[in-house]
Amino acid sequence: MDVWSSLMDGFATALTPLNFMYAVIGVILGTAVGVLPGLGPAMTVALLLPVTYALEPTSAFIMFAGIYYGGMYGGSTTSILLNTPGESSSVVTAIEGNKMAKAGRAAQALATAAIGSFVAGTIGTALLAVCAPIVVKFAVSLGAPSYFAIMILALLAVTAVLGSSRLRGFASLGLGLAIGLVGIDSVTGQRRLTFGQPLLADGLDIVVVAVAIFAVGEALWVAAHLRRTPLHAIPVGQPWMGKSDWKRSWKPWLRGTAFGFPFGALPAGGAEIPTFLSYVTEKRLSKHPEEFGKGAIEGVAGPEAANNAAAAGTLTPMLALGLPTNATAAVMLAAFTSYGIQPGPQLFSSQGPLVWALIASLFIGNFLLLIINLPLAPLWAKLLQLPRPYLYAGILFFATLGAYSVNLQAFDLMILLVLGALGFMMRRFGLPVLPLILGVILGPRIEGQLRKTLQLSAGDPAGLWSEPIAVVVYIIVAIILAWPFALKLIKRNRPGKKPLLPANSGAADYSD
Amino acid sequence: MRQIRALRIAAVAAGIALMATGCGATGKSSTGSESSGAAAGPITGLQIMVPNTPGGGYDTTARAAAKVLDDEKISTNTEVFNLAGAGGTVGLARVVNEKGNGDLTMLMGLGVVGASYTNKSESKLTGTTPLARLIEEPGAIMVSKDSPYKTIDDLVTAWKADPGSIAVGGGSSPGGPDHLLPMQLAGAVGIDATKVNFVSYDGGGDLLPAILGNKLGFAASGAGEYLQQIQSGEIRVLATSGAERLEGVDAPTLKESKIDLVFTNWRGIVAPPGINDADKAALIAALEKMHASASWKEALKTHSWTDAFITGDEFASFLTEQDKRVADVLTKLGLA
Amino acid sequence: MSSLATSLKGRSELGVALLLGAAGVVVFLDANGLVTPYSKSDPVGPKTVPFIVAALLIVCAVMLAINVLRGGKGEAEGGEDVDLSHPADWKTVLPLAGAFVLNILLIDWAGWVISGTVLFWGSVLALGSRHYIRDGIISVALSLLTFYGFYLGLGIALPAGLLEGIL
Repeated sequence: MDVWSSLMDGFATALTPLNFMYAVIGVILGTAVGVLPGLGPAMTVALLLPVTYALEPTSAFIMFAGIYYGGMYGGSTTSILLNTPGESSSVVTAIEGNKMAKAGRAAQALATAAIGSFVAGTIGTALLAVCAPIVVKFAVSLGAPSYFAIMILALLAVTAVLGSSRLRGFASLGLGLAIGLVGIDSVTGQRRLTFGQPLLADGLDIVVVAVAIFAVGEALWVAAHLRRTPLHAIPVGQPWMGKSDWKRSWKPWLRGTAFGFPFGALPAGGAEIPTFLSYVTEKRLSKHPEEFGKGAIEGVAGPEAANNAAAAGTLTPMLALGLPTNATAAVMLAAFTSYGIQPGPQLFSSQGPLVWALIASLFIGNFLLLIINLPLAPLWAKLLQLPRPYLYAGILFFATLGAYSVNLQAFDLMILLVLGALGFMMRRFGLPVLPLILGVILGPRIEGQLRKTLQLSAGDPAGLWSEPIAVVVYIIVAIILAWPFALKLIKRNRPGKKPLLPANSGAADYSD
Repeated sequence: MRQIRALRIAAVAAGIALMATGCGATGKSSTGSESSGAAAGPITGLQIMVPNTPGGGYDTTARAAAKVLDDEKISTNTEVFNLAGAGGTVGLARVVNEKGNGDLTMLMGLGVVGASYTNKSESKLTGTTPLARLIEEPGAIMVSKDSPYKTIDDLVTAWKADPGSIAVGGGSSPGGPDHLLPMQLAGAVGIDATKVNFVSYDGGGDLLPAILGNKLGFAASGAGEYLQQIQSGEIRVLATSGAERLEGVDAPTLKESKIDLVFTNWRGIVAPPGINDADKAALIAALEKMHASASWKEALKTHSWTDAFITGDEFASFLTEQDKRVADVLTKLGLA
Repeated sequence: MSSLATSLKGRSELGVALLLGAAGVVVFLDANGLVTPYSKSDPVGPKTVPFIVAALLIVCAVMLAINVLRGGKGEAEGGEDVDLSHPADWKTVLPLAGAFVLNILLIDWAGWVISGTVLFWGSVLALGSRHYIRDGIISVALSLLTFYGFYLGLGIALPAGLLEGIL
């Protein structure tokens, strides 16, 4: 089977005026939905499903794919501009992106996000087209032991972002872990920290937590200390990315893609963890680490590439094996079924034209999104010139709308308020936000994968290293932990040279 | 000057608002308690509530039903809305609270029965008015093609010898259908439910790699999601749990294999308690008409749903029996 | 007594330590009430991780308290819009929070259009805008637009509340 000619045929189908129009509708809708926190591509596709019954399956799926990719782009826009992450995978972008925006570099942040997303999406989709079967075979071989090992690696990376006061960083992590505990224990089915509230039984959604702590918390904080006379007008600055911006962005784009695609393809991977790993990696590798926390462009470029690559990665097992790795993929699979198409390993052969048209339209959608978002970046950046009252009222309004529309429960808004107050307190007393978010994301996963590993091995601890990938990851973890000690030993053995590190630094090498 | 400008803006805004009201987004027809069972015209104002998020199983069934009802003019403008949370018990609580509302119905299934116990819900399904059971899906006992178990007897023998060492996977959390099936199976073959090593996965998508990668002893879930893998041989079905064999799957039923268990994951529709008899009759009549129509049969085929239509009192006694069964299993496990 | 007061003044960060400690205790007590069916295959059990988290929180609480009493200080977050030279301006924060709370109370009963208007208008006013009429109109327009947009575009029916049947 010739990949190239199938792909070309796919382009031919996807570029018919009708299908192209659906692609455009899809990306616009996806961007709009991605912008709003709470609502996401998954829910949008699910809600539009009945509407699309009248359409040809090919057209419908082209639209869905556009919605999916568009959601990833839209989520970054509000993350950067309003500190209101629209998707869980855009949470990390908000950290550096919003700081850049506040410093008048919103256009650059949006541009690097858009281009990075495009690069990652294109590479990811190409990988999907060319090596789907290999990727999937690898992805399926991973089980709970490997996932647990990967989570441990991620947890180790958290120590790199504890901020200037490690104590407060750990406190923040503790709070995040506690928030992550709310809900039902997956093994015994008992409720933890739900205080008898049925609505807490499903746990606290990471997007709601992030929006509450980032957006609502910031709105309250700004209200408490609103600068009545502006210090100086926020400089609009250059609308385009400068040469140094490009130089600093292109490697993070590629590295972000490398992180994002595999995690997207892994069933229990998710798009949040690669964005975070990308962030930490960029911080370690950057020539300007002091800028992190104040608006470092690498901190936007990497995670943004990661989340779009993860989106492409997610589609790989979905198309190649009928295996959904996130909610959007699951809904798209349901869509396949309702059209009478059985998703599964035979999809490429039994529905070849449809699948290749879908892949082609992913490339097209990606390109469309770049064209829509890039020139508009300076325009979006102007949004920040709104007078402060309108800007923050708007943030609260959309945060509320997004959070409410998911479940139509006023209770979710209560959570927004309570966690918003927490965000306020954290800003007042210098508790870093990132460890909390990571606690919420990683905590449940680490616990879940650990207990699942032990269940699968019937309680035998040897199960922890029963998979080759798990072993490899543990070795990496060991190397990372041992590295500072090894470095010390080497330096001490060089006569005449003073050891660069204080005697008991150990993991202190990881604070910044 | 400023005032005139403000007034002008106000006028325009008011105009837009007035026009918008013409959109009729919230225009609801009379409540059902008035429009009692005149069998003549189509029902109006019917609402089907789905206690889960859009895109899920209940949601798909509800929307398919609504579409058939509308297409066949059995009902007009059937509204489907979601009220998710706590495994379906948030929706359940809403239904139980809307006593006497003859317009509201809820699509539910076995999962909600389990959830009403594990979530310690105050409202129980036995407190609703059962209307009809629509579809069912038998479960399947599945292993990977690399598994050492070739028949259900192999599996049961190994399982009875050391229940704790065999990991049983399912796509639901404790209390859900994929959990109830292996627990009832354990009971049927004489294994203590508390010894069963159940590993819960987050839905069929999460369970699939575990089956394919041969990480589990066996998996218990609906076969519908995995038909392609079953047909290609990647997944071996040891047995299915329905009364009859599952079409397209070459495996015996549990009964055929001398295991006394019939288990299906069913879905049905209920209404709030205290609705008057005329409303109840009208709703059941509507569902019967829907069931008899060609478009419903078409929908069943498209989604590979098995028809399992019973109404009224028959459904009520089925619900009570299911409720009791689930309560027994979950109490033994300390989850009820 | 006055020396206690002076040593506590400016140490409001102790409140954070208190919060952390309280959170740790809550997590611990909640986990304590769980049942651990002894299972060979689940040696970790549902209580272990909560206990670890509770321990982490309590340890942090104690260490933070010590840190604060010794003079350590967490750095309040600065920013373009933030002027830290004055203490917290409760006259602004509380009305803003109040608008938010009003929205929560009104949304199901009075409907999104009304509660969203209250939210936006209240927020803008709290933050200092003085264009009352203009803000009011913008608030209503936003709420209406989003109400219809969600219903017609996505099929999500935000509550109509008091305006049921009119919209």
